[in-house]
Amino acid sequence: MKFTLKVWRQRGPDDKGRFAVYEARDVSPDMSFLEMLDGVNQSLIPTDEEPVAFEHDCREGICGSCSLVINGVPHGPDRGITTCQLYMRQFSDGATITIEPWRARAFPIIKDLVVDRRALDRVMQAGGYISINTGGAVDGNVLLISKEQAENAMDAASCIGCGACIAACKNASAMLFVAAKVSHLAALPQGNPERARRVMAMMEAMDREGFGSCGNQYECEAVCPKNISVRFIATLQREYLRAGIVESGLRTEPDSADQESA
Amino acid sequence: MQRVGWFRSSSGNRVVISLTGLGLVGFVVFHMLGNLQVFEGPDALNTYAAMLRDMPMFLWTARIGLLGVAIFHIALAIQLVLRNRRARPVGYALREYRHASVASRTMALTGSVLLVFVVFHLLHLTAGLADPSGNNRLDAGGHADVYGKVVHAFQNPLYVVIYLVGQLALGVHLSHAVSGSLQTLGIEHAAFNRLFKAAGPAVALLVVFGNLAIIFAIFFGIVRA
Repeated sequence: MKFTLKVWRQRGPDDKGRFAVYEARDVSPDMSFLEMLDGVNQSLIPTDEEPVAFEHDCREGICGSCSLVINGVPHGPDRGITTCQLYMRQFSDGATITIEPWRARAFPIIKDLVVDRRALDRVMQAGGYISINTGGAVDGNVLLISKEQAENAMDAASCIGCGACIAACKNASAMLFVAAKVSHLAALPQGNPERARRVMAMMEAMDREGFGSCGNQYECEAVCPKNISVRFIATLQREYLRAGIVESGLRTEPDSADQESA
Repeated sequence: MQRVGWFRSSSGNRVVISLTGLGLVGFVVFHMLGNLQVFEGPDALNTYAAMLRDMPMFLWTARIGLLGVAIFHIALAIQLVLRNRRARPVGYALREYRHASVASRTMALTGSVLLVFVVFHLLHLTAGLADPSGNNRLDAGGHADVYGKVVHAFQNPLYVVIYLVGQLALGVHLSHAVSGSLQTLGIEHAAFNRLFKAAGPAVALLVVFGNLAIIFAIFFGIVRA
């Protein structure tokens, strides 16, 4: 197969950037999108042109590194997959493919198609964890969690933090990402005690990073490689409303975890 | 301090927009229902209008309340739109939507058209300033002739067109707004989600059809003075 690629090239964070056109030749329909790009880069090495920088790691859809907007859709035309799981047979031979980086104020471009997604890490650092020491693994069936509850938490926990939801959102909102993390932790007994503080801190961090707000368009769900449902955004809103009520009635100084366990 | 932070956050902001919006939706539904009395003839509508005017405390509380709610709704929405514009300074060269409805993508536009329309509507039929030819007569019962004013207005194609544009903006805005507001308020349940999703278009159709029925019935002479 043969393709014409329109690729975003940007030397660094301060460069203005532009589109460059490359030809991808001798592409097998069974190649992944990233393998096709590897081939293009291979062909650029003998020339003066610098290879195209793009992020990738596991290449099996679990690390959340690959991040390309392909023909206007994050992770490309297929559904429920990451860019590395996209195969060239999804495109018609001779097609022109436009490749752009994630676009958001909170995701500054580092180079070409690589963006800085540390904003998501900082949102996680604000509260996306459990600070209570739960000790070693407990005996089976000591901590009873219903099947439904476990499945619900797992559905949310399958978020790999790739940022496609933000890339797809008209407002570059990180609500689906935060919703997945908050819902997952609030659904389980270990995460339950800190749920009010967590949701307040993560939402505050989200706003601070310059993400937009949810417009209920559900583009995020439509591009999520893990098919995370927008119903978690409703859960997040419920958690946030609840926290607003709980926190306003209580002291602002949180209990220390040590006192509780002593 | 904490509470102020809550309301100023993007999500708290949206909760207030949703609540005020749903309040305005409630008004729009009752406004439509009240106006349908035009089909019962001049006496029914004029008596209804007189009944509202005979309760000045209620009327002005409702008016000032609605104005306050609308101002909150609009001010916070503008703040939200500006915040969202800032969130993506450089857009995509190519953009394909998979799920977002036209209504959801044009909320700011339909909202702005709606604001202009509502101001016009208040000047036109409430204050009677926009159309000097629609005089404020009294009917046989001594009430203000609201019926006559409405019939006079919609016999004029110009006003019909203006109101059609207003109704289009209203319908499109509501079709996304109601369902979106439910999601924003965290109202979600696997058994009812399809109902919640249908709520927006259903309310929009209800209100718009009710209002259009009045406009067209007058324009085509089914309801006449």
